[in-house]
Amino acid sequence: MPKEEELKELLNKLPDVTTEFVQPRLAEDIKHQIPHRLSPHRVGMDTINIIIDFRINKLAAAAAIIITIIFCATFLGGRDSAGGSVLQDSVLLIKYWGASVESDISAGRSKYELLLGCGEDVVWYGDSLDTKDRNAVLMQRKLADGQYEVTFVDGNEKQVNAEELVKLLTKMLKKGVK
Amino acid sequence: MTEKKEKLTEQKFNLAHLTDKKGNLDGTNDYSRQMRDSLAGRLRAGDHSAAVELVDIYYKQIYLFMRRLGHDRQASEDLTQESFFNAWQHIGQLRDGKALNGWMYRIAANVSKLYWRKHKDRKTAAFEGFDVPDSTNAGDDKVERNEQLEHLKNAVARLSVKLRQTIVLHYIQQLTIAESADAAGIRQGTFKSRLNRALAALRKQVT
Repeated sequence: MPKEEELKELLNKLPDVTTEFVQPRLAEDIKHQIPHRLSPHRVGMDTINIIIDFRINKLAAAAAIIITIIFCATFLGGRDSAGGSVLQDSVLLIKYWGASVESDISAGRSKYELLLGCGEDVVWYGDSLDTKDRNAVLMQRKLADGQYEVTFVDGNEKQVNAEELVKLLTKMLKKGVK
Repeated sequence: MTEKKEKLTEQKFNLAHLTDKKGNLDGTNDYSRQMRDSLAGRLRAGDHSAAVELVDIYYKQIYLFMRRLGHDRQASEDLTQESFFNAWQHIGQLRDGKALNGWMYRIAANVSKLYWRKHKDRKTAAFEGFDVPDSTNAGDDKVERNEQLEHLKNAVARLSVKLRQTIVLHYIQQLTIAESADAAGIRQGTFKSRLNRALAALRKQVT
């Protein structure tokens, strides 16, 4: 019977003798199945996510839900058995709107950290800006040609020169920083 | 477009440096921890390129994990795809970069468990197709070592599904105790005691 240490040593060798060639097409197949929109919400669990899965934009999704609510309220007098789920969906919709700004900022933050890790000249404004202002500058990145790439709260990016950057930041400050 | 592609290649290159020889994301230094957190953050934010990176890092590991749990090649490929499909549905459950390994393996382990539940009649495959290197021309020590490894491989394959998973997670996939326990969906203490039971069973079988 092998000793404890000997057994563990043998077990540590098992990864090398229990391996085989993995078809690279497997990775390609999996990548093709990545949904167009990855959502932290469980897909298919509620009306909102189903509508978002159809890749309708947020406003259209909101309009579709509001029309459904009005329809239910008008024709079913609010006494339908689905009344509870309509209410839940409305709450989810409100939560979703609230979360979308946060997720945009979180995506920007991740990008900022990645660029910082790569030694890029980046400045983060996300901690002190007014998140309600979708055109506020989330971060700036200095490019090799002296231009700046600015990322806004809504995720859009724009290349500007130093003068334009100062204007954007001044505008943001005037609007009021938190 | 080309610039974007170059950036992606650069990011993948950076991540490749952060994986150990088994392809696990190494969390031993600050930079790799940052990268792992960044990947988890981007996944949670719904970044498509982060999902592509996740596939590049984990597809081989998850496929081999399935094979080592006793599934045949075709089933392992299908279950790997299913694991990633489930991962996209449960991105909201990913807490942070530290939990990435445990999260991914937990999904895969659940997919495997459901498969066995649905196909109760199927027997677990021995490590079929995995060959210990030919040692006919090697020295006596090496021949003996390879025989021991062959015995051990068969002994692991004969373990119950739970005990086999324990050995596979910790010794073969080389996850830490915390990550393995997370992947198995049990407390660390329970995992350790299960690991001890598995080791005791192996000691009995390998003489």
